[in-house]
Amino acid sequence: MNENVTEEISETSTQRPAVALKQEQSANHDASSIEMRRLHKRFGRDTVALDGVDLTIQAGEFFTLLGPSGCGKTTLLRILAGLEAPDDGSLVIGGKDITETPPHKRSVNTVFQSYALFPHLSVRDNLAFGLKMRGVPAEQRLQKVAEIAQFIKLGQLVERRVDQLSGGQRQRIALARALICEPAVLLLDEPLSALDAGLRSQLQVELKRVQKRLGMTFVFVTHDQDEAMVMSDRIAVLDGGNIQQVGTPAEVYERPATAFVARFMGHENLYAITASQDNWVETSLGRLLLAPSEQTSAQEGWLLIRPETLELGQDQPEGYNCLQGVVKERLYRGSRIEYRLTVGDITLMAVASNLGQRIHHVGDQVTIGVCPEDLVRVAF
Amino acid sequence: MRKRTLHRTLRGFWWLTLLFLYLPLAVVVLFSFNASNSAASFTGVSLRWYRRLLSNDVILSAFSNSMVLAVVSSVIALVIGCLIGYGMYRHRHRKLGWLIVLIYLPIVLPDIVFGISEMAFFVQVNRLTGLFQPGLGTMVIAHVTFQIPFVALIVYSRFVGLDPTLFEAATDLYATPAKRVLHFMLPTLKPALISAFFLSFTLSVDDFVISFFTSGPESATLPIYIWSAIKKGVSPEINAIASLMIGAVAIAAVFSMLVNRRQT
Repeated sequence: MNENVTEEISETSTQRPAVALKQEQSANHDASSIEMRRLHKRFGRDTVALDGVDLTIQAGEFFTLLGPSGCGKTTLLRILAGLEAPDDGSLVIGGKDITETPPHKRSVNTVFQSYALFPHLSVRDNLAFGLKMRGVPAEQRLQKVAEIAQFIKLGQLVERRVDQLSGGQRQRIALARALICEPAVLLLDEPLSALDAGLRSQLQVELKRVQKRLGMTFVFVTHDQDEAMVMSDRIAVLDGGNIQQVGTPAEVYERPATAFVARFMGHENLYAITASQDNWVETSLGRLLLAPSEQTSAQEGWLLIRPETLELGQDQPEGYNCLQGVVKERLYRGSRIEYRLTVGDITLMAVASNLGQRIHHVGDQVTIGVCPEDLVRVAF
Repeated sequence: MRKRTLHRTLRGFWWLTLLFLYLPLAVVVLFSFNASNSAASFTGVSLRWYRRLLSNDVILSAFSNSMVLAVVSSVIALVIGCLIGYGMYRHRHRKLGWLIVLIYLPIVLPDIVFGISEMAFFVQVNRLTGLFQPGLGTMVIAHVTFQIPFVALIVYSRFVGLDPTLFEAATDLYATPAKRVLHFMLPTLKPALISAFFLSFTLSVDDFVISFFTSGPESATLPIYIWSAIKKGVSPEINAIASLMIGAVAIAAVFSMLVNRRQT
């Protein structure tokens, strides 16, 4: 199978401008879908890195593996790259089982967290390394380097030495070095984590744009939920070697499948459901009405209240759950205002867009309106 | 004020140290150009002793023995030491404590103990099998043995200083294991290999004790020749040999430094 993939790649890698490459890639969409079946991996006796992961990634998707450190996301990425072998399970890319294929025969390239640029080579030779290893003639290598330099807007960086580059520049070179080989799948291992915030958000946008233009399958690993939401088509949230939820950023943020996902996505307003009847639930905040669609047979679980859905003020629309709270803390963030409220002795966070409405002060008594449609039941 | 005195004293020590290090060398170099054969007075500049050196067949053969021994042993030690260094790097996460100690032991072992045991070993093997006739061959084996730890140490520390994901990046970029060695590991190691070669070479040229115990009748090296010649008194010829060796070592050191500077 490797021969086939290599053939396709070397075919596209000869004298084709980046724009034409886009169509080529879309035609080959199926060649870059990924299927992981029951992947198991443990390190030593006790550390379970992956506990039977099943995951399908569509061709051309920007897919993010999200989770805290030690959740198995990096192990999964390394298994995709072939740098780690699973103890059990199978990995299929483009319909071909590559579980046993060594990394140098996989049409998969990686952007490493440390960038891993070769210190003994110039930027140009770093970019051309993969092509050289594949036996692409020197003339074509030069041409491809020029094309990718234009595509990623490297400008004069190609002429530099690796030790003359800044962090952001290294990151772009590492990306270009992986893209130049036109792999079926590009893997990115927290490539932005070493950069400062401004550069980081700039590169997030750029990376997303590159992925859309190439139509290439990107598998991105991060522990930063904001980064994941900005960039991804779909996100898989991992914990303890298990996939907790797979979904679009909106699904994962608005309807987290488990309390872990909810907390990881930054939600603080989670309340244990102690009893429920029809679409009423009993929580530490009191008895709350849910939308009819939230009615389940499950008695217990968690109730999620997103801070930005709360209404603060005297006049609450009909049918809203109303709670009486006290403002304990207020953070003015410019575009929005964050309140820490207490209802009884239970804390509730609220975020209001700064639209010129009344600002509540610390110590104020406020009525908190909660729309039943905005309440979400979360499983354990 | 007291600080200034301290600084002056330290500077004085610095010059004193340099003086003790280099004055004897300077004297040797100076007297190698002495016109007379007196070791006490300098009577005029001449190349007499160097000419004498070049017409002395015993010295020339000792020189060639030294060179052959140094080059051959360094090359062999480079290959073996490099493999050991890489092996130590690859398996650095395992607990290899005592194995590593065994590899480094020759570095701290007194040369005389090492030389005598090598000799005893070669004599025994020679008696039983007829192999290992004392000569350049046995000297090469002995030298390779004590050079290996130095090479392994240099190669190992170079690898440890590298980002480990570089190895993975090479594989990820389609390098087969053989190409990875050729296009990543060897080029990255180059400065380390050059320093290791020069160090091995210098150790070999410099060695007297181990060479003395493992050499045969035909395989005297320069240090062995000097030792036997000096029993008859220090001749100005010895000064000339020493001066040439100082020159060679200085050139090697400068060359090795230049290579390292260019690489980093």
